[in-house]
Amino acid sequence: MSQETLEGWADEDDTLPETCLSFELRGEWGHFRRVEGNIVKQTYRIIPRTTVAGLVAAVLGLERDSYYEAFGPEVSSIAVEAIEELRTINLPQNTLSTAKEHMTTMPSRGHARISMPDPTKLRQQHNYEVLVEPAYRVDLRLANDELRTRFRDHLRNGTAYYPPSLGLSEHLAEITYLGEFDVTPRERETTEVDSAVLEAVDNVELAPETEIKVERSPAFMAADEDGRTTTAFQSIAYATRTEPILVQNVETHEVDGRRVMFS
Amino acid sequence: MSLLPEPSMFNERYGDDAKLARKLPNRPISSLRDLQYVYGRLYTLATAGGGEYAAYLTPEKSTDLFDEPESLLYLRVDLSGDEPGLDPDRPVGVERYGEGKVEAVAHSWYDSARGFDHSVTHRTGKNKEPEKVAEYLHERLTAWAVDDVIQDAAADHEDGWIINELATLGETENIRERIETAIDEQLDGKTTALTTVAVKVEPDGKFLLPGKASPVFNEAMRARKQAKLVSKGEATDSVGDATDLVTGHSGPAVGTAEDPLNYFLGKQLEKFPGFDPDQAWRTHPVSEDVAVTLMNASTFVDACDYYTMGANVYYLPYFFGRLGPEDARDLYQVLYELVHAEDMTPIESAYRSYQDTPRLQEVGKRFRFYVAAVMEHQTKRFDVFGDSMDGTLFSPVELTRKHEQVLQSWLYDAEGDADHPDPRLRAAFPTPDNWDIFVSEESTLLSTLATGWYFEQTFATGDDDASADDYRIRALVAVLSGEPLDVKAVLTEYVDRLLEDEGEEFPSFRVAAQYTQLCALADAGLLTGREAYEPVAEPLQLTDDHPTNDMYSDTPARADGGNVAGARETKLEQFLDQTPALDEEQPERRGSFLLGALVGQVTGYQQVSEGRSTTLIDQYPIKAVTESKLKRLASDVLNKNVVYSRENNMAGTMYREVVDRLVTTLPRIDIDGDWELDTTDLRFYYSLGVAYGMNNWASSDDEQADDQPTATQEEA
Repeated sequence: MSQETLEGWADEDDTLPETCLSFELRGEWGHFRRVEGNIVKQTYRIIPRTTVAGLVAAVLGLERDSYYEAFGPEVSSIAVEAIEELRTINLPQNTLSTAKEHMTTMPSRGHARISMPDPTKLRQQHNYEVLVEPAYRVDLRLANDELRTRFRDHLRNGTAYYPPSLGLSEHLAEITYLGEFDVTPRERETTEVDSAVLEAVDNVELAPETEIKVERSPAFMAADEDGRTTTAFQSIAYATRTEPILVQNVETHEVDGRRVMFS
Repeated sequence: MSLLPEPSMFNERYGDDAKLARKLPNRPISSLRDLQYVYGRLYTLATAGGGEYAAYLTPEKSTDLFDEPESLLYLRVDLSGDEPGLDPDRPVGVERYGEGKVEAVAHSWYDSARGFDHSVTHRTGKNKEPEKVAEYLHERLTAWAVDDVIQDAAADHEDGWIINELATLGETENIRERIETAIDEQLDGKTTALTTVAVKVEPDGKFLLPGKASPVFNEAMRARKQAKLVSKGEATDSVGDATDLVTGHSGPAVGTAEDPLNYFLGKQLEKFPGFDPDQAWRTHPVSEDVAVTLMNASTFVDACDYYTMGANVYYLPYFFGRLGPEDARDLYQVLYELVHAEDMTPIESAYRSYQDTPRLQEVGKRFRFYVAAVMEHQTKRFDVFGDSMDGTLFSPVELTRKHEQVLQSWLYDAEGDADHPDPRLRAAFPTPDNWDIFVSEESTLLSTLATGWYFEQTFATGDDDASADDYRIRALVAVLSGEPLDVKAVLTEYVDRLLEDEGEEFPSFRVAAQYTQLCALADAGLLTGREAYEPVAEPLQLTDDHPTNDMYSDTPARADGGNVAGARETKLEQFLDQTPALDEEQPERRGSFLLGALVGQVTGYQQVSEGRSTTLIDQYPIKAVTESKLKRLASDVLNKNVVYSRENNMAGTMYREVVDRLVTTLPRIDIDGDWELDTTDLRFYYSLGVAYGMNNWASSDDEQADDQPTATQEEA
């Protein structure tokens, strides 16, 4: 099996199916680096939408930077629900410096060169904030028939082109297929939402018994000739202990008896 | 001293809701950058009026120099002649800096670790020798004026010649020596100052400071500051088209914006595509406007930062959701008060604002805090030990209130008016006067908590250096952000501290302090425990009315100690009833506690009645308690108790209320089976028992006598 590119796939068919593929993502650890830090290594609590896209692309074996269109706003939608209490710990790790003076570039001349930290240098200890036993349910809709079919086959067979991971490659992920479910749109209303609440922080009803938290993470990306950029960020509200959140006047979908929000 | 306008002035200026709303973000605050943007925005609104350069200047950075002697030094440069030169009569001006000179001095600060300030005005380091001060002044000509970015800006400006002339003067022979001589003559000694230039451009003109002399100075300053947004450290031109992470607008994004919290630095290449710092704008895209606004957050961010236990703790107030105009005015007031709160931690200041402002109370749960503890190993090496967007005031305040309640309950009786199960006996645990943690007063407790002292008194002291696994900092951040602590980890800290303490004397006060804290944390919902630890995280069942209160009057006098023994029985029964962790279903922990109580009780007896220097607790210190030894220790201690009882000619055994329970609890402990508790848990509750037992004596001397077993009580 060879890695594939996605040329021309995204515009084939851009209506979303009325069903979604649902799966559970679990791991012992997870680390989704927050964009506001590089010197500090703090993690998002809810797996960012762009990370879900990357993970699905890894399962499918899609080439780097080739899949952003297929996960664009019109042709894909993703709902994420944390299904275990979200906990983090501080995990100090010894890392190599990536400051320029500590980097080795090989070969020393020519165009195809790579830079890497000098492994003989002393390590520095840095603290990583990592999620402990994170687990999410993901509901995914993809307009592209071929990608969807192939992904469903992978889910059914428990296979993946690249090993899926939760943020960092060392935090391996376990994927469990839950099935294909109908997605039923619901009228705008005040309702309890089971998934992470997307772009509706102002509509969240704060209640003393439910601890509501917020974060803002990358949602969509685009590639250009030199790399990629995030084209949209989204604000997310969630409850640490995974209980449903009451949200005023909000559009939701029903999936498998649950209320979720797609983006 | 601060240049910020009073909140009333701010409210007056921005009284129009619709107008103010247009200047605020149109979506909820949901990240640290959002919050910094709001701070920067409020700061710019508050200090607006400084003209088009206001957002680039940093007047707040040097308000500490106001009215200080020798705090403003400038070269008096005459540019009115053919050749630039220093004023021969008075080459250097030495003055007091002050509020009236802010605009003229036009200072734009830049992290000194990275180079000179953006403006021609540069702030010296602290207490510099005259020689060093002269060097700073010289550098206005030889470093600032010749900088590439400054030169480019000068080339585009009609007054650009002024900067060129300054550069020329910098190359003049002996100029450095002349500045040094002038400084030597005019300066008393070391100083901290703003160093700058004053130029005279007309033969009959005056020497004017940069802000008054020509807009070219500010224009060049702005160019320098903007240049640093795309070029810093290894990055030379980090700019590209992307979506701004704060506003969501697409356009040119800069990669090396300054972050008042320093979470993002251009030097850390790991997250840049191809380790290329010029690609920084891809991972951290902010527009130039937003970047400048983020920098302007620093006055407020600095006011919300304090240092404790080797870490910088940030406590940044905001309102959950989208910031409305009224919220913005309230937030400005809170921040203004934080800037002016001198000896208070930000937590105390915010709480005071909250208490004084009915509107904040109405806002209630929406009043939130970004909380973080940051350890600065070196200037460019940081670690965050914990951070959260979701801190509230309720969590620390609730904890202090619960703490007060525990202290006022019969367990501690800090105020001497608690409803005791039996007033003849002392409270369950001692409350020494000189410990802050036993002061039953909200503002003291809040301060003790905020400064970290609350946990420093009870947790292991560990290394001197702060580290990521320093649980004291973790606990502080958890309490401030309302996240529960793992009870097992807390008990580990407690026991480690007790082992550190245990020397000549058993640390009863420490145990008492720890237990107050444990009860308060549990009651405030700040503990979680899994499996066997679950009951430890449960709040005590402290009731106001004691159902067992009536019992003691009916309890017959007992062989081992008469009425006081009856009182002890009632007290122990009540203590065990009210403590979920010591339920009968928890035989290991209950057994440990009872064993400790017996050891403590006998130790107290040995100390008071026999005047012994070596007591039972010396023979059975905390570290002697292990899972496997518990039963054997218990039988040893029980045997010793029997011996003492015989020595005292008693028919029964001393402290029968403890002995009986211990004897029924021990067989239920199955050491060969599945041990659910680890040594830490047993040791803590053993210590708690010892502290309880040692404090379990009668309040008055008369009854102390009653407590002593005597031959006359043998018949029962």
